[in-house]
Amino acid sequence: MKNKINTYLIEYAINSILRQKVKSFFTVFVFTFLTFLLTSVFFITNSLRYELDATLESLPQIIVQKIKAGRHYDIDESVVDTLLEIDGVEDALSRVWGYYYFVNAGVNFSVVGLDEYENQYKNSFDKIVKKVELEKDSGSFMVVGSGVKKVMNDSYYKEYFNFVKPDGTLKKVTFAGVFDADTELESNDVIVLSKDTAKEIFDMDETKATDIVVKIQNPKEIAMIASKIKLLYPDTRVVTTDDLKVSYQNIFDYKGGIFLALFVVVLFTFFIIIYDKSSGLSSEEKKEIGILKAIGWRVDDVLQEKFYESFIISFFSYMVGVGIALGYVYILNAPLLQNIFTGYSQLKTSFTLPFVFDIQTLFLVFFLSVPTYIGATIIPSWRVATLEADEVIR
Amino acid sequence: MIELKNITKVYEVNKNNKVIALQDINLKIKEGELVVLKGASGSGKSTILSLIASLSKPSSGEVIVDEKRISKLPDNFASVYRRDNIGFIFQKYNLIPSLSVKENIILPLVPLNPIAQDVKAKLDVVTKRFNISHKVDVIVRNLSGGEQQRVAIARANVNDPKIIIADEPTANLDEKLSLHFIEILKELKALNKTIVVATHDPLFFELDFVDRYVEIHNGKILV
Repeated sequence: MKNKINTYLIEYAINSILRQKVKSFFTVFVFTFLTFLLTSVFFITNSLRYELDATLESLPQIIVQKIKAGRHYDIDESVVDTLLEIDGVEDALSRVWGYYYFVNAGVNFSVVGLDEYENQYKNSFDKIVKKVELEKDSGSFMVVGSGVKKVMNDSYYKEYFNFVKPDGTLKKVTFAGVFDADTELESNDVIVLSKDTAKEIFDMDETKATDIVVKIQNPKEIAMIASKIKLLYPDTRVVTTDDLKVSYQNIFDYKGGIFLALFVVVLFTFFIIIYDKSSGLSSEEKKEIGILKAIGWRVDDVLQEKFYESFIISFFSYMVGVGIALGYVYILNAPLLQNIFTGYSQLKTSFTLPFVFDIQTLFLVFFLSVPTYIGATIIPSWRVATLEADEVIR
Repeated sequence: MIELKNITKVYEVNKNNKVIALQDINLKIKEGELVVLKGASGSGKSTILSLIASLSKPSSGEVIVDEKRISKLPDNFASVYRRDNIGFIFQKYNLIPSLSVKENIILPLVPLNPIAQDVKAKLDVVTKRFNISHKVDVIVRNLSGGEQQRVAIARANVNDPKIIIADEPTANLDEKLSLHFIEILKELKALNKTIVVATHDPLFFELDFVDRYVEIHNGKILV
């Protein structure tokens, strides 16, 4: 009884690959590398998009900032009480934040002063905050991102840090903790301390805040309440979640542009290989097809063998490429490539890329590479196989 | 069994340059007959063999084998015709040099997806008959010219075809090996194969087991 799958053809295809060791190795190497690069870029952007979506969800619904002469000024804390009287406003909270330039390292830290922590940061942040509250008695304290901690360590600030206030005096603040590594994309350059301490460091008036964040009961009313606030306080800028999303998206799209450039380069390289392959067979390859035809192989038999050959090479390379990309992105955390996508802070982030399994990505890379390669192998073989065998052998 | 009727074959080198390889050829070969086509290089002998094996099609006329017009066969049917009926021994053997003897010999069987025992049985028969069984695992490029020719003969016979075609089979062999090939030809004739040989080697011209000599000159049969 005959086997349904022609194992002799498969064996012939494998032999054919092994017979052309150098050529096959080169093809597998290039194919694997391109698949790896393309898949890695997709994996990284998927992870970053996931991370950004999570960040966007935790952003305040409305931020109210005082504007004077087109610039951002400190806002009166008393505005909070007025905002709380607007129907639909669930909560309003003043925030103190700014940038502190650390001369020794030549970097800016993002300093955030908080009294209450809910609605402002991710849940993961709450854990560390509770721990900090227990230590409040010890005086001024702060929670820092791992990038900040590293920079301060390098400058021998192990237990505390001396902030230089605008009047030149020092403010000593002790370390209370470091943010989890998985929040590092947002928190890497952040210092969180009490609102009073932040005001002292920035020399702000006690009745002032940097801005006010507002929580709305019904998210559908955000735009309407924002316009009410704007009417109440014409000298303010009222920023909604949607505005922030656009802003974040712009940063991501900028990174997306770099991704697109990489993507184009990879595709371009791939299609050069494909073009080269599809533009013709070597005289040896042509002669082999001629011999096979002469001894009784049909065009279908030749094409079937070429299909097996190209499928083995391309699918093997695809699997290896995807495997390496998985390891590179999710185990090694994408060294080099990650910096391209996350390098917008002055402090280098080293957060863990969250594992996002997207079957569409794998399908996309598969359909971009494997069938294309198979087609590029089969078409020139078909051209030769349909010629008269006599013509090919001669 | 084989009939060439009013065959003309014209090769078009380019638009302004045509070569008439065969002109108005008529030839009948009976079953079990051994016919030697004689003639100088370029006389058209190989073209006749190509047409009988359906490796190319005539510009006009018909090739009929076993009452089938093989010159009209579509490409895939022509392949099947070759596989089932023709064993072709090429001048330069046309083996795949990087494959082993065994892999080369079983190549015509591959598209049939036969069971392993059948393959082994057929391989054993031809390798023993053509004295190459001790070299089945050797890569063909490492064989001598005579051994390569025996592999080519074994491959041509592995499907047990009715017709054996040999194109200048001794062109690359010394006299000793040429005589050995003639012995093989005699064995094939004894097996009642229809054999057509194209050659200009004088060793073939005085053989008692050859049924007929046909001389070709400038694409025509000399009467």
